[in-house]
Amino acid sequence: MNNKLKRALSGGGVLALASLMAAPLSAASQSGAQLLQERCTSCHTPTADGGLSRISEQRKTPEGWMTTLNRMQSQRGLRISADERRAIIKYLADTQGLAPAETSGKRYLLEQTPNVLDDTPAEYAEMCARCHSGARFALQRRTEGEWERLVHFHMGQFPTLEFHALSRDRAWFELAVSDVVPQLATDFPLKSTAWDQWQQADKPAPAGGWTVAGYLPGKGEFSATLTLNAKGDDHYGLTLSGQYADGSPLTGQGSAVVYTGYELRASLTVAGVKMRQVLALSADGSRMQGRMFPRGATEMGGELSAIKAGHSAILAISPAYIRQGESRTLTLTGNGLTGKVRLASGLKLDQVISRSATQLVLKVSAQSGAQPGLRRIQVGSSAMQVALYDQLVRVDVVPADSIARVGGNGGKQAKVNATYRAVGYAAGKDGKAGTEDDLALGYMPASWSLKPFDAVAEHDKDLDYAGTIDARGVFTPGDAGLNPERKMSTNNVGQLAVVATVKTVATEQQGQARLLVTVQDYIKSPLQ
Amino acid sequence: MKLTQMYKASAITLALGSAALLSGCASTGSGDTAMVAGKEYLLTSTRPNLLHVVDVETNKLLRSCKIPGIFGSNSIVPSPDGRIAYVLTNKWEDVYGFDITNCEKVFSAKQSYQNVQIKTIISLAVSPDGNELYTVQNPVVKHADRFEVQQPRLAVFNTADGLNARAKRFYPVDRRITKIGAMDNGEVILGGADLKAIDPKTGDIRVLKKLQNWQRPADKWVAPDAFAMQAQGEHVGEYILPYFTIKWNGAPGEMEKAEFWWGMNRIDLASGKLESNELVPFEFIFFNLVTDPNNPDIVYGAFNNLSKHSVSQHKTLATEDLEHTYYTINMTRDGSRLYVGGTSSDISIHDPKTLKKTGSIQLPGDMSTADMRIARLRD
Ligand code: HEC
Ligand code: HEC
Repeated sequence: MNNKLKRALSGGGVLALASLMAAPLSAASQSGAQLLQERCTSCHTPTADGGLSRISEQRKTPEGWMTTLNRMQSQRGLRISADERRAIIKYLADTQGLAPAETSGKRYLLEQTPNVLDDTPAEYAEMCARCHSGARFALQRRTEGEWERLVHFHMGQFPTLEFHALSRDRAWFELAVSDVVPQLATDFPLKSTAWDQWQQADKPAPAGGWTVAGYLPGKGEFSATLTLNAKGDDHYGLTLSGQYADGSPLTGQGSAVVYTGYELRASLTVAGVKMRQVLALSADGSRMQGRMFPRGATEMGGELSAIKAGHSAILAISPAYIRQGESRTLTLTGNGLTGKVRLASGLKLDQVISRSATQLVLKVSAQSGAQPGLRRIQVGSSAMQVALYDQLVRVDVVPADSIARVGGNGGKQAKVNATYRAVGYAAGKDGKAGTEDDLALGYMPASWSLKPFDAVAEHDKDLDYAGTIDARGVFTPGDAGLNPERKMSTNNVGQLAVVATVKTVATEQQGQARLLVTVQDYIKSPLQ
Repeated sequence: MKLTQMYKASAITLALGSAALLSGCASTGSGDTAMVAGKEYLLTSTRPNLLHVVDVETNKLLRSCKIPGIFGSNSIVPSPDGRIAYVLTNKWEDVYGFDITNCEKVFSAKQSYQNVQIKTIISLAVSPDGNELYTVQNPVVKHADRFEVQQPRLAVFNTADGLNARAKRFYPVDRRITKIGAMDNGEVILGGADLKAIDPKTGDIRVLKKLQNWQRPADKWVAPDAFAMQAQGEHVGEYILPYFTIKWNGAPGEMEKAEFWWGMNRIDLASGKLESNELVPFEFIFFNLVTDPNNPDIVYGAFNNLSKHSVSQHKTLATEDLEHTYYTINMTRDGSRLYVGGTSSDISIHDPKTLKKTGSIQLPGDMSTADMRIARLRD
């Protein structure tokens, strides 16, 4: 199986992070340090420098601490209340967390983004990133001794590990200790200047109003106001109020906790659905970036970005493209959209359709002879680019490699859908499609269909069994369980090509992605 | 072999493997199933945790013995006199010996003790005289706040110690040892990265055949992946371990020009003679191989299909589709019947000449990765 596919496989189903998010403030505001002393010292011993064995020599994300505590409770016999658990996770994430820079490029794991093909370096790919993602360890910092104890833990916890394919073909344990551990200690050391500096830094204050722009599969793009009300000790009440691009309302209420000074985790109910937000605050406190997803179906989520009241910026322009000679309605979402509107050469403002500080709807036309390329749209001092293009020549479906999982049908596991968007491209300066200089036009509306991925899929009639895709690019897999209609009564698994067809006035282009529909994922972890 | 097919196959495996909660009526045998010396009995195991004894003449389930502990992986080795079935169970930890004529538990050894977790991955063998039982132990010490991996070792038990036996001797061995087997000269074959043999009286180890460390040029051959989850070979007295390798005809990694091969290590337990060679081009998966007792040039394999191969011609002679995936295969001593089992709850019986299905045996639970051995009862 190719590496990309394996990557995609291990990015799959995930359990909701219930206890990190929903966090009513408890009266038992016992100090975290005290709780560690009371609850952990029956097994963990005090160290010379005042810490506790194992515990003091690691840093990780709130989710990382939660996974470890889950294991302490479920397998090691740690007994703590839910409140104590929350307090310990908060304390450890605050005092032994990761600096913002230390999570960059790996946030997909925290955000539970499915089908991410991360580029785990070769020295880790087969040794460490074949059961879980590379972000699992790239989001931890440890001493060399702690990385080594982690290897011993794996061997004791998973006794068959060194007998699996991709372990038994090498001296897995010996190599892990002699080669991988020193590498981990170099790449992900306990001590770092980024962390030292972050601990010293003034932390952003998130309370107040935020303008957000985002996307939810099956629903579409939205813009809204998010308000955080401080409740003390990094806890916040939260309200969300706005609308989707089609005008339907989006409102929600919930609560949030900020860990490590910038890791915001929110739990909210939107139209009766329990949702999560995993957001990172920028160091200056003006921005938040992350993802929002339903608690029980993380794959049905999407990106979210926010700008705080008092700061001016354009967060999104939809659509982000305009064709030569065309006139289009562009919707700008952001903050402080009060200044003068200025368009770069080749674009002309025909009309301001509506205007508020957070949303600006413009009728814009592009000259027919204008040079294709990116063009600035400026409102006051804020700006964002749109693509002025000549011809749509290529469509990419994202994600390009993906999995969905059968489910339901009376079984314990729900179906895991897969969701897609189409990204359009013009040819760019060289006039050729599929080259480096292709001009990205952003997301485009598409119609969706499925095909068998290859001859095997065609022969096995995967298309008839593996699932269906709707008009919004949401794929729903088939029912779980053996299907007697199929050869060898196999499950409703299969390999499909997901096809997006994008039509413009001048042309029609198709793009496709690969979809593997597979069986349920029985190993659930908050961090894959 | 298409990777997608491989993926589907493992998807099936996963689905079956997790359908764990099937029926579990432990119908311990009725008294009137007298067993006869000289006859063969098929031994296998199913969830929840039962040892089954099947009469291969009638293909009737004679009795099911309750095994203590949790199922897994339930490797089985019959004693040389065919009377005792030793089962490795309780998630690769404990060994129990049952008298297959009456389900009496005659041997037991719990390998883990105090804070030391000991797992044995498949490695289970009995000495030719039946007096000693061998396992390869993989110990991990579970300290209060950390785990510590220790050197694997061959553990030697006296079968006469009966219940709650403790290992009498230990000798250090390599990591990653799976299938083991006792040769007539007393040595124990260790199937790991390389094939070795250990003298269980002295701990002396000699190399039988280098596999992962073989001397072939790395730009021409990929080091073999030798692995089998199940044991067999008792019908002809051999130890057999398939492997998979790739031959690069172009540059290493150039898949279009590469040849994919199944290989086979086969050791005659009586003489110690070893054959190790490529067998047939890789066209489909088999998990295990058995030799035809009437013609050592013929071997059979099973997984999604049953297949028949000529060793000397490097050729697949025939294949037959199976109703579902089966992990293991075995054969009667007269070579008249092939048994295909493992994975699910039925054993499929086939004619070695035509590979056609001639019957089946239904068991009360899933065999999963358990062994399927055929013992011959001696007086
Ligand atoms: C009943 C014994 C016990 C208690 C109580 C206990 N632990 Fe542990 N802990 C262990 C053992 C055993 C290990 C090593 C095995 C493992 O990692 O699961 C361990 C390992 C750890 C590790 C290292 C994990 C890694 O990934 O390397 C951390 C961190 C940890 N514990 C934190 C805690 C905290 C925090 C508490 C108290 C809130 C706690 N433990 C309470 C037994 C315990
Ligand atoms: C056989 C599959 C497998 C391999 C190979 C593997 N892991 Fe893991 N790893 C797991 C599983 C499963 C867990 C979850 C353990 C739990 O919390 O129950 C885990 C947990 C972890 C954790 C989180 C532990 C904690 O409590 O914070 C880290 C970090 C990690 N692995 C790193 C690595 C590294 C580094 C390697 C390579 C040396 C590696 N893994 C190889 C399966 C694997």
